[in-house]
Amino acid sequence: MSGAPFTWRERAFTIDARCLEGDPVRGAWVHVCALPDRAARIPFDQPEVQQVRRDALAWWIPLLGDALVCISTLALDEVHYGGAVTVARSPEHFGQDPFARLFAGTVERSDDFCAVAPPAGPILERYAGVPWPGGRFG
Amino acid sequence: MNLSPGQRFPDLDLPDHTGRDRMLSDVAAGDPLVLVFSRGWWCPKEQRYLRELTELQDEFEVAYSRIAVVSVDAPEVQSAFRAGLGARFSFLSDARRHWISRLGLQETTDTTHDPYLPTAFTLHPDLTIHAAYHGYWYWGRATMQELREDMRAISRLVRADFDGP
Repeated sequence: MSGAPFTWRERAFTIDARCLEGDPVRGAWVHVCALPDRAARIPFDQPEVQQVRRDALAWWIPLLGDALVCISTLALDEVHYGGAVTVARSPEHFGQDPFARLFAGTVERSDDFCAVAPPAGPILERYAGVPWPGGRFG
Repeated sequence: MNLSPGQRFPDLDLPDHTGRDRMLSDVAAGDPLVLVFSRGWWCPKEQRYLRELTELQDEFEVAYSRIAVVSVDAPEVQSAFRAGLGARFSFLSDARRHWISRLGLQETTDTTHDPYLPTAFTLHPDLTIHAAYHGYWYWGRATMQELREDMRAISRLVRADFDGP
């Protein structure tokens, strides 16, 4: 598992590759919590980035339930968080997306994303530059 | 079923606290795992133990290790219990008692709830059992320090760069 290129509003990110591998879910709703501004980035190790992933594991993913298609942070490089995407079969809960605390969310439709089993943890990236929750050791 | 150290733990297929079907190997996802069998939300001993485990989760989250809890509570009950604890790890529901007798982990003295015998296993990423703890009596349970030491021992074996790259 690794990262895959993901372009949004002419910004180049890396996304958990599993989100784009397999059978795509047609007409999925995508909540992109990122900004077009290239200065909108935060080091991955900042406490607010760790906390938002804790919130994702604690209640965001359970809240979405079966509606969740996949979730990934958007890496800019080996150090910086550029945002996150949550893909769901309904936009019903996007107003509560914890990742929107860091960068405001934009709702879009897409046929590109695939269903990925939600993560059980951890809250840290495994390798520099590989978006959470992708990547594994060994 | 032989659940002794060195044996491979069965790859349980159970719904998690959100009702999604999960495999234990997917929950481990290549990391060392603490697998706790718990009586259920109603038991004060389980409440006490899982509160302690919840405090430990911060360390697990930065140490690339996992925690999973199995009980006979229904997923929606587990979800509420998990939220009350503030836990971020996965709960797996065996409300249908699919695995409890196959694993030989029934608590036969509680005929009201028909729960799991409080038991914990520390597992390698491939689900090989490192250690087993039997917590019918509370003092038989793994202490948080024992779990840390087991995670250290497993990580030392499975992380080639454990002593530094």
